[in-house]
Order: sequence, then C-alpha cells, then structure tokens
Amino acid sequence: MTIFPKFVKSAIISEKLRSAIAAGIHQIGEIEIRSFDSNSRFKLCHVADVDGHEGSGGEDLTIYQGPGGAREIALEGADGSNRFLKAQENLRRGWVMLLDTVEDLRLALDQFYPACVGLWLAEQEGTLEVEHLRDKLRRQSGMYQRVRVLSDEALQKLVGQTCSSVVPCARRLMWQLDANTPLLPSAASCRSGIPDGTPAGEAIPLLCREACNHFVAECLAASKAAASPASGHSRPA
Amino acid sequence: MSIAPKPSSALLIVGHGSTQNPDSSTPYFEHAEEIRRRGLFAEVHCCFWKEEPSMREAFYLFDSDEIYVVPDFISEGYFTQDVIPRELQLSGPTTVLRGKTFHYCLPVGVHPSMTGLILRRAREVAPHADPAATTLIITGHGTGFNANSTKAIRDQVALIAASGAGYAAVLDAFMEETPFIADWDKLAPTPNVVVVPFFISDGLHSYQDIPVLLGIEAEIGPAASQREVFRHNPHALRGKSLFYSSAIGTEPLIAEVILDLVSDFDITHKH
Repeated sequence: MTIFPKFVKSAIISEKLRSAIAAGIHQIGEIEIRSFDSNSRFKLCHVADVDGHEGSGGEDLTIYQGPGGAREIALEGADGSNRFLKAQENLRRGWVMLLDTVEDLRLALDQFYPACVGLWLAEQEGTLEVEHLRDKLRRQSGMYQRVRVLSDEALQKLVGQTCSSVVPCARRLMWQLDANTPLLPSAASCRSGIPDGTPAGEAIPLLCREACNHFVAECLAASKAAASPASGHSRPA
Repeated sequence: MSIAPKPSSALLIVGHGSTQNPDSSTPYFEHAEEIRRRGLFAEVHCCFWKEEPSMREAFYLFDSDEIYVVPDFISEGYFTQDVIPRELQLSGPTTVLRGKTFHYCLPVGVHPSMTGLILRRAREVAPHADPAATTLIITGHGTGFNANSTKAIRDQVALIAASGAGYAAVLDAFMEETPFIADWDKLAPTPNVVVVPFFISDGLHSYQDIPVLLGIEAEIGPAASQREVFRHNPHALRGKSLFYSSAIGTEPLIAEVILDLVSDFDITHKH
C-alpha cells in the first residue's frame, strides 16, 4: 500500500475515478476494473482473464498486491516486445492486481495507461486541449526541425502506418493535420479508444490529444528517407 | 538537507526515456516511488520526452495547483533549456499556466552532491585499483545543439581533480564530441581506467552504445539486465584494465538530490 500523508487534500482525480466506477465504468484498454467494499477496494486483471479472475483457473494468475507491479506488467508484451506505447493492444495476461485504495488504483492505471484517466476527465469537463499535428511539428527543434517539410500526403500515410503498425495503438486520435485538414479515414483515425464490444458508458476511452513523440520520430525518419532515399531510417533514441 | 512536507504541492520528475530500451525509464520511476513513499508531496508523477506520459500530457495528471518540476537530466543543456520549457510551456523559474503554478528547478546533474556520487561509483566498481595508477573518465553524450550539455561533466572533472581523491588523471570524454570516449586508451596515461557514464539510466547510450565504443562489446546488443555488462570488470582491453560502472543516475541517492533541488528552488526564488 502506498503511504500518503493524512493532511493531503482530497485527491480530485481519484475521487472522480471512484465515482465513475460506481456509475458503471469497468474497463480501460485491455484492463477490467472491479470494485469491492463500496468502491473502496479494487481488483484489476486483463479482460481476457476475467473468467479466471472470477473463479475457475484463478489460481493460475499471478497476484500483485498494490500498484508497484503495474510498470513491470506493462513493460513488455507476451512476446517480449518493448511496449513503449502503453496503449498497444498486446498487454500480457496472467495476473491480477489487488488495490486497497482508490489512490493506488489511480497509480496503477497511470502506469498501465499513462495520464489516460486525467485526459478522459478533462475531455468530459471540456478542458482537454487538442493540438494538431502541424502545430506539433512546427515546434520541434534540433534535428527534428526537418519534420516540418513533410507533405500532407506523407503525413496522412504516416498516420496509417505508425498508429496502426504491427501492434496498433488503441488511442482515439483527436487531432487533425491542422484545424482545417482532418485525418483521412483509416483504421487508425476511426478508432474510438474503447474496446470493440464494450458500451461507451462502461469504459474509459484512451485518448490521443496530440501526436506522440514516437510518431514525430517516424516523421523524422520519413523526412530523412525522402531527402536521401538510399540512406534508410536512422535509429531513434 | 531535509525538506519540509508540501501537502498541497506536486512533484513532476521529467526524464528522457526511450522507445528502444525498456530499462531507460526505470530510474525515474524508482526515484518517484522513493519520494512518494515518504509522503512529502500530495502527488509525485513522471513524464518523458520519448515515453508516456509526454510532457504535454503531464498537465492532466495533477490535482495540485502548485507543481515543482525537476528535470532528472544530467546537465543543463538542450533538453533542460530548450525542450522541457517548450513542451511544458514554461517561461521562467515560475510559470502560471491554466490556473496551475509550475516551479522549474535545476537538473539533478548540476547538484553539488553529484561529485561524491561519482567518486563512490568509481570506488565501488574498482575497489582494489590504486588511484595513483588509475585514470577516472567521466563520459557523456555531447551534442552540438547546446554548448552547455558538456559543462556538467567538465565541472565534475575539475571538482574531482581538485578533491584530493588521488586519481592520476581525471578526464572528460564524449560519444559525439572531442575528446571521444572511443579513444579512452589513448587519453588515459595509466594502466587502470575507470569509466563512469554520466547518464541517468542504463539505457541506450550507457548500456548499449558506450560498451561498443570502449571495445567491451563487438556490436550493440539487446537491452538486458545491467549485471551482464557491469559484473565482468575489469576488462583487459587495449593493454589496460578497464572498469566500467553503471550510469550515475541509477544511484538511489538521486531521490535525495531531487528533494534538495526543490528546497534549493524555494530558497532561491521564494524567500
């Protein structure tokens, strides 16, 4: 259990999360959220392990007490691949996490899906600021400045390729190329951020408020390749 | 230095991170968890340049209206002077943004206690090497984007050389600037050479790139436990005994440095 000082003011985001769960939210990405004891204690597992979680086969799940194991679980996919984008749909199965407070629940969810609870609450309250891709690329500096020269066509293609790569990112793309240029319809741009088959009111959507830096790195690689087709991609950091 | 609890404030630890090496962000989370465990702040969060949450996403992590931002970076340079202020939209030591007040602290690498941490690492990695027959090399990245990026290392070299630690030579060397770390054997005049990477994490550079430049590894290997590289000291290479330590930022005492930097901010800017 994480130690919090008694004088800490009410944790607003955590309490809103508790209220959302009480109102029927039970999923985020590939994670099922269950609450107990009047929404004071919580249990997380992979959605595909819910049956084992509930009863038969549950003994096969590794039990984590507290949020400390969340980063380890989220670090690599079942195939050992590096999950540097946490909304990639390859979260490994075989675990259950027991959380004694809503603060611990939030800490765990922020490791599984970084900032996604706060982003969702901001969206609901109308305070989420979306930044379009051209604005993001325009503010790059150093070696990344060259990404500004990419054409709309090249950027649209990169959205389709990067956000729906071998392991797609499940976030809902909220940004456009610019205020007047929406993303072309594609598997990536049409994603809702909510798992297929889950009603909208039962899951916290995974939101992408601006292109991630992995996307910018792919833009850099594409701009280098365009300038020197024979040179190929350089390695990102 | 002890820090008074800040029950209405948050701490944001900013790191580089990596899309290539899953070990890169480990120290930042460890530092955050250590500080969180002490219950000094209402909230402790991390954000990254290359990982999630991004710096712009970090704004949505906070309940608190006052946030101390500590760059868990090794030097004042391109990232701390250009990238972090730009991404967090900071305009000075204190910035009010959408109703929240951000205090921008100095990076961990410029804190005076780093000198002692480097010397401790050097002694740990080569406990039986006579300093009089040993060169200590502090190595970093080096970049043409910001001249200050190498200053922290050069400052540490000067401080250790003047400290009476007894090393025959104390040198700086870089991956992408002269003097190059790849020339370590030519730079060092002694039979023993201790190399301490002045990086936060055992990530892409300190775990994978520099071992190749030193000649420990023939090619860049996969990310793995640091023990596989670091436990084989000394390496008999190029006619010398080479001792290679893990990155200085993996030291647990960096959590103390982060807290000191918050205190230093208050002393400098709030009184």
